[in-house]
Order: sequence, then C-alpha cells, then structure tokens
Amino acid sequence: MKKKVGQVTPEEKNEIQQLFERRNGLNELAKILSADNTELYEKLVKDMGETGTKFQGWWDRMSQKYQWESAENGNWEINFETNEIYLVS
Amino acid sequence: MNIKTGHEPWQHGISKTITFIVTKDCQLACKYCYLVGKNVKERMPWEVAKTFIDYVLDHETDPDFAYESVVWDFIGGEPFLEIELIDKICDYIKVELFRRNHHWFNSYRFSFSTNGINYHEKPIQDFIKKNREHLSIGITIDGTEKKHDMNRVWKQPVADDNGLTKPSERGSYKDVVKNIPLWLEQFAGGGTKVTISSADIPYITESVLHLYSLGIHEVNINVVFEDVWQEGDDLKFEDQLMQLADAIIDGGYYQDYACSFFSEHIGKPMDPERDNQNWCGAGKMLSVDAAGNLYPCTRFAQYSLRDKEAWIIGNIKDGIDKNKLRPFLTLDRTTQSPQKCIECEVASGCAWCQGENYDAAKTHTVFERATAICLMHKARVRANNYYWNKLYRKLELEDLREQYEANKREMKPEIC
Amino acid sequence: MLQYLVILLDNTSVAYCHADNPLKERNLMPLETLKKGILFGMKQNLMIQYIFPDYELPKEYVEVLESIDNVKIYPVGCKPITGINDGNEADVEATNAIPEKVKARNLVLRLTFNEMLNQKDEIAKLFASGARINLCITDVEQFTDEQIEAYKQVLNEWNSILLDLYKQGQPPQFNLLTDRMMLDKMHNCEAGVSNITLAPNGKFYLCPAFYYDEQMKVDNQLNHHQPTSDNSVGDLEKGLDIPNQQLLILDHAPLCRNCDAYQCRRCIWLNRKLTWDNNTPSHQQCLMAHLERNASRDLLNNIRKVGEFMPEIDIKEISYLDPFDVRKEF
Repeated sequence: MKKKVGQVTPEEKNEIQQLFERRNGLNELAKILSADNTELYEKLVKDMGETGTKFQGWWDRMSQKYQWESAENGNWEINFETNEIYLVS
Repeated sequence: MNIKTGHEPWQHGISKTITFIVTKDCQLACKYCYLVGKNVKERMPWEVAKTFIDYVLDHETDPDFAYESVVWDFIGGEPFLEIELIDKICDYIKVELFRRNHHWFNSYRFSFSTNGINYHEKPIQDFIKKNREHLSIGITIDGTEKKHDMNRVWKQPVADDNGLTKPSERGSYKDVVKNIPLWLEQFAGGGTKVTISSADIPYITESVLHLYSLGIHEVNINVVFEDVWQEGDDLKFEDQLMQLADAIIDGGYYQDYACSFFSEHIGKPMDPERDNQNWCGAGKMLSVDAAGNLYPCTRFAQYSLRDKEAWIIGNIKDGIDKNKLRPFLTLDRTTQSPQKCIECEVASGCAWCQGENYDAAKTHTVFERATAICLMHKARVRANNYYWNKLYRKLELEDLREQYEANKREMKPEIC
Repeated sequence: MLQYLVILLDNTSVAYCHADNPLKERNLMPLETLKKGILFGMKQNLMIQYIFPDYELPKEYVEVLESIDNVKIYPVGCKPITGINDGNEADVEATNAIPEKVKARNLVLRLTFNEMLNQKDEIAKLFASGARINLCITDVEQFTDEQIEAYKQVLNEWNSILLDLYKQGQPPQFNLLTDRMMLDKMHNCEAGVSNITLAPNGKFYLCPAFYYDEQMKVDNQLNHHQPTSDNSVGDLEKGLDIPNQQLLILDHAPLCRNCDAYQCRRCIWLNRKLTWDNNTPSHQQCLMAHLERNASRDLLNNIRKVGEFMPEIDIKEISYLDPFDVRKEF
C-alpha cells in the first residue's frame, strides 16, 4: 500500500537525490574495486560509511521536521519528480 | 485524473551528453537508417576510449564540460556488439570519477539505444546487473511485425566491395520482441523509439497500439527528417493520426500510455525573439569515434553523412578546436529558418536535426534549416488539434477537466 | 546590394587583404572575358576595381581597361600600368613590405603579426604620409590570448602618434584605429553582398580567396565523394548564383549583428577557414577586432580632451573581448 504523507522543498529533494545517487555510485563501485587497490578501497569504504550516515540523517531530519505519518514495518519513499513523500507499508 | 506524458529526459538541460561511437557494425541493415556508412571495420580501440575519457575528466572546469551531470552514451551501429569494451569503459569511468573526486560521480548515467537483438545474452545481462542504477536502455521496436520487418531487416552475411553492410530480406521482429518482457521487467516505464518513413505511414495506428499491448507505455515516434516524402503522404499521415487519436481516447489509453505525436504544446506560433532558442543540442554534446576524432554530435561523423564532409571539431590528442564549435553555439531558430518557418502559425513542435540540415544544405553551413517535414508537421498539428479537442471535451463531460488542469506538470522545451 | 565588381586580371594579381595569393603561374584574363566582365559591371551599375599583377599588361588591354570608370589596386613599385600617370585618388597600392615612399592615396600593408610588432615604428611613420593606411594582418589564425598585451601595447603606442597628428591638424587615416571613431554602424568587407569577384576563368567568386582555394585544390567539404571544390558562384554566361546569400549579410550573423567593433572586416573567408561557417567569426578575429575597438575608444577620448570631436559617436566601455563569451546576454 502506498500513501502520500507529505512533500519536501526542491532544495531538500536535491540534497537527498545527490546522496541517493552517490550511494548508488558507491555501491556499484564496490562491485569492481577490490582490496588490492588499497588506497582507493579505503577511500571507498570510508565514503560509503559517511554517505550512508548522511543519507539516514536526511530522513531523520525531514521526518522530524514534517512529522510524517509512519507505520510499523513501513518505510518512506520520495518521488524525485514531484518531491512527494509516500508511506509504503 | 492524470494524462500520461512522456518522461522528461534525465537532468534535462543540465547534463552533458558524451557519446562513444564504439562500432559501426550492426546485425541489422535498417532501410531508413541515417547511418549510411555502417561497416564492420571501425571498432573503437580501448586506448582511444581511455585517452578520450582522460581528456574529458582533465577538463572538469572547462566551460564546455561545466555541467552538473553527464550522460555517457554508447552508439553504433549496434553498441551491444561491443559489450566487453563498454564494460571496460564504464568501469574505468566509475573508478576515475571517484578517484578524482569529480562532481559527476554524484550524477551520471550510461545510456544505450539498442536494436534489442542480443539484449538477453549473458554479457549484456551481467553488465546491466552491475550498473543497474545508472542505466538508461531503450530498445527499438517499430510496431507490428509487418511494420517492423519492412525496414528493420538483418544485414546480408557479406559486405559489399566497399565494406558497407547491405540489407537482406529477413526481418528482425521475432528476435527483438522476445526480449521486450525482460527489458520491461528491468526498466519499468521504458520507452521505445519508432521511426516513420513514407512506406510506414499506413501502419502507424496498429503499430502504436501493438506496442501498448506489449506493455510499452511510452512510444516516442517521429517522422524521419530526410526528404523521403511522396505527394499525398501528409494526408495519409493525418488520417492515420486521427485514427490513432480515436483509438487512444475511446480506448482510455491516455491515462497510462503516452504517444509523442500528441502534445499540448505543438502547433502554436513562435515569437521570433522570445522563442528563438535552437532546440538541437549539437555542439553542446560531444562524440568520439574509433579514430579518436571528435564531433559536435554523432550526426556529423562521416558515416552519418550522405554528401558533406565530416565536421570534425578536434581529436583526442589535440583536444577540441573551439572555433569549430562556434557556429553550433551561436545557432538560433530564426537565423537558420526560412521566412515561411518564422511566419508559420503552427511552428511550435516542428523539429529539425542539425546534422540533416548540414547534410542537405546548399552550402557548407549549419544555418540552413531543412524543411522536408513541413507538410508532415502541419498534418500532425491538425490531428493533434483534433486529439486535444476531443479529449478535453471528454474530460469536461466527465467533470474531470479542472482536476486535469490543476495536476498537469509544466513541460520544459524538449532539447534533442 | 551589389555595388562593386572586383576583376582579378591575372592569377598572380596582388593580394590586398587577409588571404595570401599562393598562385605563382601567370594566367592573364582573356581579353574577351575582360570585355564581358566590364559589360556585366556596366549593366549591373557596379563600380569596377581592377586587381593588377606585377607585370605590364599588353597594350590592347589598356584601352579596354580604361573604357570605364575604375579603381586600380596594384603592387607597390609597379610602373604606371595603363600609361596614365595621374592615378585615380581612389587607387590602392598593396604590399607585403613597408615602402620607402607611399605614392598612392591608399596603401594596403600586409604583414604577419610579428612583422607588425617588429616594424611598429616604421608603420607609425606612414601615418603622416597623408595616405590612408590599411594594415592587414595575414596570420590572424595564429593569434593567441598570450599576444593580447603585446597587441594592446602597440595599438597604444600608435594612438600617441595619431593623437599628435590630430593635434597638429593633420588628421590621419589608419584603418585599425581611426575608422571606428567615424563609424556608427558596421563597415565590413561585404564580399558576396556589396562586392563580387570575377576571376580570369570567367567565373564569379565571393572574393579572390575563394578562387585561390579552388585553384589550390583545397578539400571539397560540400561533397566528400569529390575531392576538390568548385567555389564559383556563377559565371559570365549564366550570371550570378550565390546560394544562401542571406548568410553573408549581417543580420544572419548571430555574433556580429549585435557587435559594435564596426571597423572589423568580418572576413568571410577567414570565418570559413577557422570556424567552417561563413557567418561565424573565430575567437582570434573577435579578439583582435575588440582590442582595436577599445584602442579606438581610448584615442577618441584623448582627442576629446583637446577639443570637441565626433560628438555623435559613442564607444561604450565593455568588459569582454570576445562577444561569444557574453552571447547569452544578447
């Protein structure tokens, strides 16, 4: 089930979209980088951690700000075209 | 209440499109293909690709590359014939973007337009799994089997004396359609590109509806820009679009399916000052071939041109000669258009291809607009007007018009 | 509107603008062709400009040449070529080296950029000759951003000399610096628009440079299936046929139509050579034209400190040297 629970500003959307894209890029990079390339691998691991933290941080901040409806075993999704937030449960 | 429209291109207007011409070979020899010089010989060496990527990434702050996002585009012939090279290129791009802390690491796509023939093969599927979140893949299926196989035929096994591929009589529909379910599963909402030439006109309606029946919700369908039209084609075209309009509206397809022929924004007059932007992105894009030559768009490579000499703007060793880009970046609509286009009362939505303009021009210039599609555009406008008048009336009678107007999103002008 | 007919009397006729003449073998225009060309000019009401080679023409040509009002462009140092000692005031001498003495009222001096820099003082001495001095840089394509300061400096030095001449009541004429002060709109070469060239082969060309390219078999960009170009735009039998003539006109040049470097030649041959489109100038051309324009502005302001001068002319201060860099503002 999918229900619209809110909307963020374009600036807020841009912030999470950039983090989303970066996280995807890091995940796909992880498929091809191995620990053999030590310097780059360490940089990747560090970045994945930091990006993941920022990513989760955005959702925490926004949900706090907008007080979106939540549900047990549900999660929020964002539509990057409309900036709308949906509760998926 | 929603009327489905086509997806806006990703990062519309703020992404740089960079095209690798990885091969000039293709399994097919489509009869309407603008790539008149396809051959089996010119495959891009890895060294050329790498040197090119390094050149691009070294120029991060150059105004020509100062875009927020990038689309790395792969073209042929059939690009997936070079999946190994493409895989290597994409891996290198990802690593380099990350290593250099390039801002494009946060905003890139790998884009492909494929004939779909080898889409299911393991190397392609492995590539898709590896890069899933950054891929844009379109499969070209031209409509019904009959319409598709009229033009999209396999090439003959042996090239001609000049090494150029020649068409056989064997169509490719069956080889493509079997991959559509897999493609739609992987790229829900994927759209297809359909090309209409003179002989295809009678099959437009049935082809669009057929594509809908395959589960393709977005059909981007265009007439070719080349001068292939016969007397009376425009009226036949209008008739087909009217039939299609009726089918879409009466069948309720408009809510979940989009056809690019019908748009609220076409068929209006254009102000010579306010609406003077060149809609073609040639010059803002960048294309590289197997020899390392650079082009403002693939359409200016020699294998795309019937007569004119290729418009090479540089090479991977010496870089871009910016003087060769100046005509493209100063192009506007009115300077290249004849008076009849400037005064046309239904001008909006009438497209052009800068490459075709150049190839068809009387002199060596990009400032002469080819107008072979004039009558076809006017026919499209008439049918489009019919479509929207009929649809608006339907929405009004169903008391949905206001809701539709309130919800519809603003369309940015499309850029080729 | 066509106003001038340039008649290249010989393949080796003197070069008088940006394009060098690379042709070495003499090929005199046949007398019949010359007569037909003059007749064409008369019927079209065109002023005839003859471009002479460096050798004396056969006697039978003299009478034909002088059958119509004309302007002669000839190499410096050549003997009176038509037996008429008093030349027309509009006649032009052309040379690739600074002459000891300027005889004609108009001199075209063709030099490379470095030659110009190295001989700037000798050039300056010509300003007081009373002749109109037209300096034409022949290697514009080599000009780089690194040479901007050097060009600025030499223009500045010339400004001082020109200012002195104005103060002495001897207003000089130097195309790069004084023209702009007199212009309120573009004053360009206008090849193919106000003038057309007739070559020894009886065909028309936008300007001599396009004829030279054809003779030198420069690549055919119009049709890559055929190796060499045909650059002609008509001939004496069929008349003029200039395809896409509108692209030679200012209003069809997006970069130029809003530009106020009015003294720029807008050389379409250079446009074509460097950007591949007749109506689009290269970065180098725009840079040089704007350095000249800005120097003209300085000269104008300095002259006005001494007294009123050309009050109707306003050359604004601008922040760019290449209008391409500010094109979105138009």
